[in-house]
Amino acid sequence: MSATSVLSYALLAAGVAMVLFASVGLLAMDDIYGRLHYLAPSSLGAVLVAAAIWVREGPSTIAMQATLLAAFLLVASPALVHGTARAVRISEHGDWRPRRGEPVETEGR
Amino acid sequence: MTGWQIAAAVLTAAVVPCGWVCLRRSFASGLVAVQLAATAAGLALLTLAEAEGREPFANLALVLVVLSFAGALVFLRFLERQR
Repeated sequence: MSATSVLSYALLAAGVAMVLFASVGLLAMDDIYGRLHYLAPSSLGAVLVAAAIWVREGPSTIAMQATLLAAFLLVASPALVHGTARAVRISEHGDWRPRRGEPVETEGR
Repeated sequence: MTGWQIAAAVLTAAVVPCGWVCLRRSFASGLVAVQLAATAAGLALLTLAEAEGREPFANLALVLVVLSFAGALVFLRFLERQR
């Protein structure tokens, strides 16, 4: 087995492990805000799988499609997580902004 | 069975916990599970296309991920209106 093949399989295994970890984490968490955190590892898994395809195939159609998929997930996933958290907050309280007297964490102050 | 086919099988299995959350938990949790399931299913299709050497099939993965993003945005609107 060549070094390229070993690297490709290692990247693939890491990517699949990330998605599996995200899936099990989703099941293990108690509330929606905890579950939202597990969307990030799945995007990282997509990047690793795309990297595995690049290492195996080199510049090719499927490698470009994998890159496009990973890039789309990297951009879309954080936006979707933010949108979901905002929608949940609106659903729970009627507004996404902090309520009067609600403690808010601020950075550096 | 090659490593890529095994990877596709494991990624398909990763959809099962998402389905469980969709069925048993709240609407909001189900929405997060659908987003994760779309990513897992898209990657499963991609690895399957690579495993079988059918490059055009990778388009399915790309289309699935993009359309599921649009679908999730629509569900978010429903979630906002749910009180």
